[in-house]
Amino acid sequence: MAGKAGKPNRPRKADKDEEEQPLLQAVLVADSFNRRFFPITKDQPRALLPLANVSMIDYTLEFLTSTGVQETFVFCCWMASKIKEHLRKSKWCRPTSPNVVHVITSDLYRSLGDVLRDVDAKALVRSDFLLVYGDVVSNIDISQALQEHKQRRNMDKNVSVMTMIFKESPPGHKTRCEDDDIIIAMDGKSKRILHYQRAQALKRLHFPMNIFHSGSDEFEIRFDLLDCHISICSPQVAELFTDNFDYQTKNDFVRGLLVNEEILGNQIHMHVTKDGYGARVSNLLMYDTVSSDTIRRWVYPITPEANFADQEGQSCTHSRHNVYRETGVSLGHGSQMEENVLIGRNTMIGANCTISNTVIGANCVIGDNVTLDRAYIWNRVHIADDVKVKQSVICDNVEVKHGVVLNEQCVLAYNVVVGPDITLPEGTVLSMHHPDEEDDEDDDEFLSDDNDVGYRKDKTKQKGSLFNPAEVGSEGKGYRWKTSSLEDTEEDDRAQFTLSNITWISQVYSNCSFPSVFQNEVHGTLQRGLDENISCDNLVLEINSLKYAYNISLKEVMQILIRVVLEFPFHQQGAQISTAQYSSHLLPVSMTLLKKWAPVFKNYVKRPQDQLDCLASMEEVFLERETHWAALVKVLMSMYQLEILEEEGIMHWFNQGSTTDKSQQLRRNQGLLKFIQWLQEAEESSEGDE
Amino acid sequence: MPSLLHQFWVDLLQDLPRFTETLVKMPGADKETDLSERIESFLSELKRCGSGAGSLRGSAETARETTALLRRITAQARWGNAGDLMEIIRKEGRRMTAAQPSETTVGNMVRRVLKIIREEYARSRGSTEEADQQESLHKLLTSGGSSEDNFRQHFAHLKANVIEAINELLTELEGTTDNISMQALEHIHSNEVIMTIGRSRTVEAFLKDAARKRKFHVMVAECAPFCQGHEMATSLSKEDIETTVIPDAAIFAVMSRVNKVIIGTQTVLANGGLRAVNGTHTLALAAKHHSTPLIVCAPMFKLSPQFPNEEDTFHKFVSPHEVLPFTEGEILSKVNAHGPVFDYVPPELITLFISNIGGNAPSYIYRLMSELYHPEDHEL
Repeated sequence: MAGKAGKPNRPRKADKDEEEQPLLQAVLVADSFNRRFFPITKDQPRALLPLANVSMIDYTLEFLTSTGVQETFVFCCWMASKIKEHLRKSKWCRPTSPNVVHVITSDLYRSLGDVLRDVDAKALVRSDFLLVYGDVVSNIDISQALQEHKQRRNMDKNVSVMTMIFKESPPGHKTRCEDDDIIIAMDGKSKRILHYQRAQALKRLHFPMNIFHSGSDEFEIRFDLLDCHISICSPQVAELFTDNFDYQTKNDFVRGLLVNEEILGNQIHMHVTKDGYGARVSNLLMYDTVSSDTIRRWVYPITPEANFADQEGQSCTHSRHNVYRETGVSLGHGSQMEENVLIGRNTMIGANCTISNTVIGANCVIGDNVTLDRAYIWNRVHIADDVKVKQSVICDNVEVKHGVVLNEQCVLAYNVVVGPDITLPEGTVLSMHHPDEEDDEDDDEFLSDDNDVGYRKDKTKQKGSLFNPAEVGSEGKGYRWKTSSLEDTEEDDRAQFTLSNITWISQVYSNCSFPSVFQNEVHGTLQRGLDENISCDNLVLEINSLKYAYNISLKEVMQILIRVVLEFPFHQQGAQISTAQYSSHLLPVSMTLLKKWAPVFKNYVKRPQDQLDCLASMEEVFLERETHWAALVKVLMSMYQLEILEEEGIMHWFNQGSTTDKSQQLRRNQGLLKFIQWLQEAEESSEGDE
Repeated sequence: MPSLLHQFWVDLLQDLPRFTETLVKMPGADKETDLSERIESFLSELKRCGSGAGSLRGSAETARETTALLRRITAQARWGNAGDLMEIIRKEGRRMTAAQPSETTVGNMVRRVLKIIREEYARSRGSTEEADQQESLHKLLTSGGSSEDNFRQHFAHLKANVIEAINELLTELEGTTDNISMQALEHIHSNEVIMTIGRSRTVEAFLKDAARKRKFHVMVAECAPFCQGHEMATSLSKEDIETTVIPDAAIFAVMSRVNKVIIGTQTVLANGGLRAVNGTHTLALAAKHHSTPLIVCAPMFKLSPQFPNEEDTFHKFVSPHEVLPFTEGEILSKVNAHGPVFDYVPPELITLFISNIGGNAPSYIYRLMSELYHPEDHEL
């Protein structure tokens, strides 16, 4: 299974890691910065909501600890003191805990971006770290992804800044919810993410064409992935958030990074896990599925009976059909626990009840003839006789009186009283908080992860503290809230769109002759730059904007730039100049040009591949003008001296099998051979020095 | 009064090294934190290693690690007399068994160590443990209070003796697999067809040992869905043993050709039954039907005073991923998938146990049990 190879030798591996780098750190964001769990989260932060009778944050911390994290920073904002209190009492803060947990609180965090900017400001992370939310439930063995990430970062320095973890789950899977549907274009070989988009309710998808020009020959466009919301980040991620103060969410960050990939040179990779489980409880529908997955033991070894949170007195037995019972549970005569049931300690259940797919917390009292199906009942709930509950959440201290029927997707928030003899329609949300008591300032405090899932207020003003008996029953207490996040995310067939709908808008562009126009523009820009003495930074900026305007790839930009610079003298002096003239012109003029624009080149020529491209285009220019071959050496020489080109690049280019006769001739050019010889000698002597 | 004073001095002298250490290092009590750290890491290790099928690390390793940890506790924890020590060991033992209830080896080793302490204590007192154990009804009536009171006496050499005895136990553990495989030639004869299921390190060593002298054929039931049988077959064929892998469904069909079934087990229960890897019950029934002898290779440390009716900890269900992959989304929402790991095999299906101390019938297990564990320790 998952860890067959990895797990037995974990301690030894950990030791080795310790030698290489100090610790594996994690940043845990214990705040969702959205209101999908409203109104429940008005009384309790989301990270502390019980999932299968254990707080969600405990699942996340257990996952981090078992994956080898030794230091975790927990960032909280909403109800930070409660989270802090919870963690202080938990096993994570015992001195023997292998994972040192630091809690950092601030009221100023409004988004993930703020948190990461703070991470950067406080310089908390020293090496690669895991970034998770406080509501992630997972048993994924991250070590392989971590290794891949490190390998990538060693291979080409600091280009890959983030590895996102995904889990395969095809459309229609229960653990997918439409809110989090994403579509990803990736490079099949290097696992690089080329395009990342939320597919929520989109009927058409657009892919920028340039992602298919990036030099790879294997693309995958995938819609069968579930974002586990676990990412391995390098410390640069925090810095990037600081640099780009407008990034609020991870979504912003990923999109921003991918769009600016060519400028910043940062890449994002992905890892698709095969046999682990990982999901984020991002809304109530996910709460339902993740709870049921936990009960059905998908997250093994994190199961209810494992008591991984190590809480006193919470021991649980597991028997047939996934029925879990904690201590002190009493079950009345004729009551049946059919399957996938978890019952908390000291809960009393009356006679002739039918319970299936349900989680019941501690100290609940449930009457006779109660039917519970897919109900999530938290602690100290009183349910009277003849109640029927279907797929609903009932929070702490709720009282459900005689004969109440809760239809699908009802939410009874803390302390609500319902009944007697009332049927709540589908999607009812009741809370002790009045929907209008929100003040606007509070509204701004939570930037939604995605703006479209914003919470809409019930505008029908209901002033006065009287409860509406039509809504909550004659003895009921609570206010009805209009929107339920369960309703928002009701399953429908909207997600079933096919990739055939994708329109290839960008294709139109690629057929046009933009490069030639672009070349003229670049030429004009450089000419102006020379005339008006514009600084190189501004030139780069202008060329970049031109690049976007004409939708030109980075490679083409470089080719054109080389061409423009090399042909500069021709444009100035007319086409018919001799070699001597050319070199004399190019060398004093163009060399000064080159020198002047060296930063421009350096900006575009970064990786070894860029150097080769640059040389290839240079070769192309000179092949067209046979007479000026002698000048090539001089250009090469000056480029080398300006450190735009490196000797490995030149040697590589020179040794590359030339395809045409002409280029072979070019390579046999006397001056060039001399230059190459000189380079070789220089290299040997430098090696000799070492 | 003088004896009390004397006791104080003896205590002080014995604690002197630790006492001075504490003085030098300030009240850090490094040893204790180090010890509890070790226990914690062992516990979390136990909790996690339970993933997948059966024992990933091999229960022999777990047994050794547990014993080594108990030795460390004996050496480093603060205790004045045997009673204290037993209390400490029992407490830690309870936590360790709770961490991974299906790994009975841990509890077994705790019981063995408790028995060692009892014996050493009795020896220091001059009486024999054997005499203590023969509790007659009369003795039970007259002794009144529990025997726990008797462990309050202090002996200076007790610690050294207990550690010495635990070391002996460790040596015994080291040699178990060898001791079992040494008996292989008595049971496996030339040109026999042997059937086994899944992968057991003990059986693997057993067969390999026999293969040095004899030629025989091994059928390995693959043991789906975890398919440890595949690994077993690869490992056996590397030793030039003629090996055939069969699906679990073919066990009954192939059984008529088989001369002997040799299996390993996870636990030997107190009634002589087995808790073994999933599919073993099928195999045992098929063997019974064809009157094929069923031999179980089980080292003594797998012998547990547990009975099969203690339902709670008996089962172990892992993630159903291997049974039905997570990617089968639409089907998953409509069905329940279970990933059970163990089978219970009743004792009447078993012909012989081969342990490191020789071969025994299932009916003799009760006797071994009373030799290895003290009856008071059955419940930790």
